[in-house]
Amino acid sequence: MKKHYWIIAIYIFFAAIGIPWYWPDNINYIVIGFPLWVLVSIIVSIIASFFTAFILLRYTWDKEKDLNE
Amino acid sequence: MNNFQALDQTAFTFISIYLSTLIIIGFFGYRARQENTLKDFYLAGNGFGLAVIFLTFYATQYSGNTLFGYSGMTYRIGYAWIMCIHFMTAIIACYLIFAPKLYQRARRFNYITPTDYLQHRFCSNSINIIVTVIMIFVLSNYLLAQLMAMGRAMQGLSSADPSIAYQQGVILLTLIMVIYGTLGGIRAVAWTDVIQGTILIVGLIVLLFVLFKQFGPISLATAAIQETQDFSKIDVPDANRIREWISYIIIVGFGSTLYPQAIQRIYAARSEKILRQGLAFMAFAPLFTALIAVIVGIYALAYVPGLEGNSSDQALTRILSIIQQNSILGYWLTIILYAAILAAMMSTADSALLSISSMLSKDIYNRFFDVNASEAKLTLLGKLFSWCLIIVLVWLAIYLSDKASLLKLLDRKFDLLIQLVPAFMLSIHWRGSQALPTLIGIIVGVFISLWLAYGSFDFVHEGKIYGFHPGLIGLIINLLITVFGSIFINRCK
Repeated sequence: MKKHYWIIAIYIFFAAIGIPWYWPDNINYIVIGFPLWVLVSIIVSIIASFFTAFILLRYTWDKEKDLNE
Repeated sequence: MNNFQALDQTAFTFISIYLSTLIIIGFFGYRARQENTLKDFYLAGNGFGLAVIFLTFYATQYSGNTLFGYSGMTYRIGYAWIMCIHFMTAIIACYLIFAPKLYQRARRFNYITPTDYLQHRFCSNSINIIVTVIMIFVLSNYLLAQLMAMGRAMQGLSSADPSIAYQQGVILLTLIMVIYGTLGGIRAVAWTDVIQGTILIVGLIVLLFVLFKQFGPISLATAAIQETQDFSKIDVPDANRIREWISYIIIVGFGSTLYPQAIQRIYAARSEKILRQGLAFMAFAPLFTALIAVIVGIYALAYVPGLEGNSSDQALTRILSIIQQNSILGYWLTIILYAAILAAMMSTADSALLSISSMLSKDIYNRFFDVNASEAKLTLLGKLFSWCLIIVLVWLAIYLSDKASLLKLLDRKFDLLIQLVPAFMLSIHWRGSQALPTLIGIIVGVFISLWLAYGSFDFVHEGKIYGFHPGLIGLIINLLITVFGSIFINRCK
């Protein structure tokens, strides 16, 4: 992999959506058995897992240039 | 593990047969060795295929303790512990930072232990020894916790006197673990991981369906918690918990990748493609392990009220106990899950033990006492070190059996491990990284982390500073010293 800064940006985006910092305190919607903020966290985690797997399977490591050499 | 129905003769026979097969696997691992070298004993000659690499990563990363701990934590703080699936996913994302380059270097320069990379990169015995000491301390602590968990598991399963059951459990399970570990090395450890990991994954997925059948859908459990009027378990977490969430993602994500046994699994993969595929599977592991543990915790919160403090770690066993008594499927599922959980504790412990023995043998003895020692001698010494260390740890596990709080006090593993981030992750990308500031950074980072954790400060609550782990404060200062110190040295040259 080269310097793929967009990958870091996407992970930060996932964290910003998955961590429930932006939800109002008194929200209590229950969707398919989970509080809505929990469901959003789980969905973001599922997407992050697929994204991580995609990155791992899409890019090979063999051509990586080792700057320390 | 109280309140669990003690196993009957049939179940004990099943678990005994299961544990015996681990020694047989150790023997097969011994037969499969190709040469009497460190590389063969500790890395299986870099021969791990996809299934083995995935399941050995899985069984090493998810211990039986994790399952009890995560369901217990959910019981204590409610849905907010869903953060565990985030930080367990973060571990795999953090591998992307350094695993590609480390794997290539390991292949080219035949690394065996984690500090082989540091020795090659910095040519500094000081860094090597300080990192080895930190890793051995962290792993010994981790290993001790696993041995104590094995004793407590046997305490819960046996109808014998609790203290005798604990001692027998620690000694017997550790003996089985050391026998197959010293017979077959990493091969035996990884092959047993395959069995343990498979049973654990299948068992947990079946458990999820049995939970739904036994208690109804998760919506009923959530409604039952709402009825208790304890909305803190359901409501959006407060600001302190949010900071804790961020802190966990960073500290566990980075810290877990630097476990020596995890680094050695990167070295052991047969090919780069297999390692990438193995890690890709691991990216989904939090969804079928950590998430299920959280759901178990939620069901326990709804249907097993009244567990206070440390007894909330019984959430999983209490739920299994209910399932066990209600159907034949539940009975056998519980037995198989218990066998898998016992074995998962052993698989985490054996990986840690093997890693410690490789570092004692190669990084300490070979580097500082006998640079000309043969591979066969180092391998033999590694096995001897395993036995000596485990005797001390078994004694400690028995001695500390009623002093669990003392062990908890010593457990700052992620605060310490994360101080190694500049040495491994920064240095592999930045050739300007220098040995002296890296060394000073580690020492200062460790000192600050421990000082904040153990000092009596008003701003430290439950070992955290406004929700953040002390290790993160140490890491920031550690990084500043490493970066600015390296820039200064490079300019002076």
